[in-house]
Amino acid sequence: MGVLDGRVACITGGTRGIGLGIAKGFLDEGASVVVNGRDPNKAEQTLAELNAGDRVHFIAGDVKLREHCEAIVDGTVEHFGRIDILVANAGGASGHAPIVDLTDEAMQDSMVWNFWHTFWTMRRAFHYMIPQQYGRFMSVSSLEGKVGKPGISIYVAAKHAINGLTKSAAHEVGTLGITVNALCPGAIETDIMMAEGPAAAESMGMDYEGLLNMFAQESAIKRLNEVEDVAAVATLLASEAGGGITGSLISIDGGTAPY
Amino acid sequence: MGKLDGKVACITGGTRSIGRAMADAFLAEGAKVVVNGRDAAKGQQCLDEMNAGDNAAFFAGDASKQDAVEGLIDFTIERYGQLDICCLNSGGVNMTAPVAQMSDEEWQLEIDWNLNHVFWGMRRALQHMIPRETGRVIVTSSVEGKLGKPGIPGYAATKHAVNGLVKAAAHETGTLGITVNAILPGLIETDIVRATGPDSAVAMGLGSYENLIEAFSSESAIKRPNTVEEVAAVAVLLASDAAKNMTGCMFPVDGGTMPY
Repeated sequence: MGVLDGRVACITGGTRGIGLGIAKGFLDEGASVVVNGRDPNKAEQTLAELNAGDRVHFIAGDVKLREHCEAIVDGTVEHFGRIDILVANAGGASGHAPIVDLTDEAMQDSMVWNFWHTFWTMRRAFHYMIPQQYGRFMSVSSLEGKVGKPGISIYVAAKHAINGLTKSAAHEVGTLGITVNALCPGAIETDIMMAEGPAAAESMGMDYEGLLNMFAQESAIKRLNEVEDVAAVATLLASEAGGGITGSLISIDGGTAPY
Repeated sequence: MGKLDGKVACITGGTRSIGRAMADAFLAEGAKVVVNGRDAAKGQQCLDEMNAGDNAAFFAGDASKQDAVEGLIDFTIERYGQLDICCLNSGGVNMTAPVAQMSDEEWQLEIDWNLNHVFWGMRRALQHMIPRETGRVIVTSSVEGKLGKPGIPGYAATKHAVNGLVKAAAHETGTLGITVNAILPGLIETDIVRATGPDSAVAMGLGSYENLIEAFSSESAIKRPNTVEEVAAVAVLLASDAAKNMTGCMFPVDGGTMPY
């Protein structure tokens, strides 16, 4: 008996990092799960790691493209017959620079990757969730959706935008059995962090180790967060017991965010 | 296998409503629980209903009194040998009023009940938890810890205060295996709200209890009060090993009421 027995979930960027952790959490609680990623070659490895048989399904797609976002949501319904939970988890940023040197392309890319992808998947998911009067939408936002650091404005702006969208959406669908929340993790050393962190650090005037240390030192726990921290909160929000929590920007940051 | 197997919890105001739901949920996850309340008869009734045998105990005491709060912590440790999860849940108002009409007696009661109780309990619990380098302190705060409605100035002020206390304590203990968090529920129709709600409604200029419920519900996205089970589920998460890296968090359970 799991708290998500019979539920169907879709997770963008679900083949590694936080998304993979959430997929494991949902599968452990009885849900069927679609994981998405850009690279079909990674699917086999992910599906093998999740080892959940027919309860897990991979849909390839690039969340920077609207038609792919919509196809991921539609594909979930086609495969499992419905969609109860959508986690807009994919995201990141590249091309970090202080604003004075920032390119349009870097800002545009971050907004598409983080914000537009969240909007596109939310809008499509609501097409299914509103008629069925049930749904759990959550985005993986960030501590940087609440605060702002120099040199990473493309990420900060996109995550703040997601948090605003979350609040509006929660009030639009609040009486329809649908909740909308944003998870705001502190720094976690995911694959994306390892790939993009060094450039972000350079833009902030430090090296990668310095970046990780800065995030740890800002927190109360003086260490980074872990994907399992986020998965535990996502599972609660996805469950029946999470039905009274909506429009929330939940800090999973070891005590870093001031609010 | 429960998420709280082997853990020991105590809960102020644990015989009814939110505290009771926490107690039931903790027991279901394998913890031992001491519940507290003023009334010994209600305490016995609570134990009978929970039917948890040696895994549950009751400690009588008024959570607005220092000796009762500290006594609960000490009793729990004496009874079960340790304290892992300290839920400082009790709180409320008696005869609230707008600031201009607020009596010293009511103000002092609310300070003692909502703020000092949390401080007394947290201090005593941390003195036990810090040497053990493990522990969870969970405070039942409120949406009024971030907002401020007219007519309940003491409640708003004390809930803001406990949120500040939680943040400071989280940073003091963050590297010691201890987390300190607040849960911020929206309105829940608990026994205490049913008992004091009609007077609060008058103080808030809302007229009736029904209008009070409607006023809070209409502010939310879900247009209904929250439930004790929704709070208890968050308490279980915060008490569990899975939340070891969550601290200083103001966890909302408010149906989308608070702006931040």
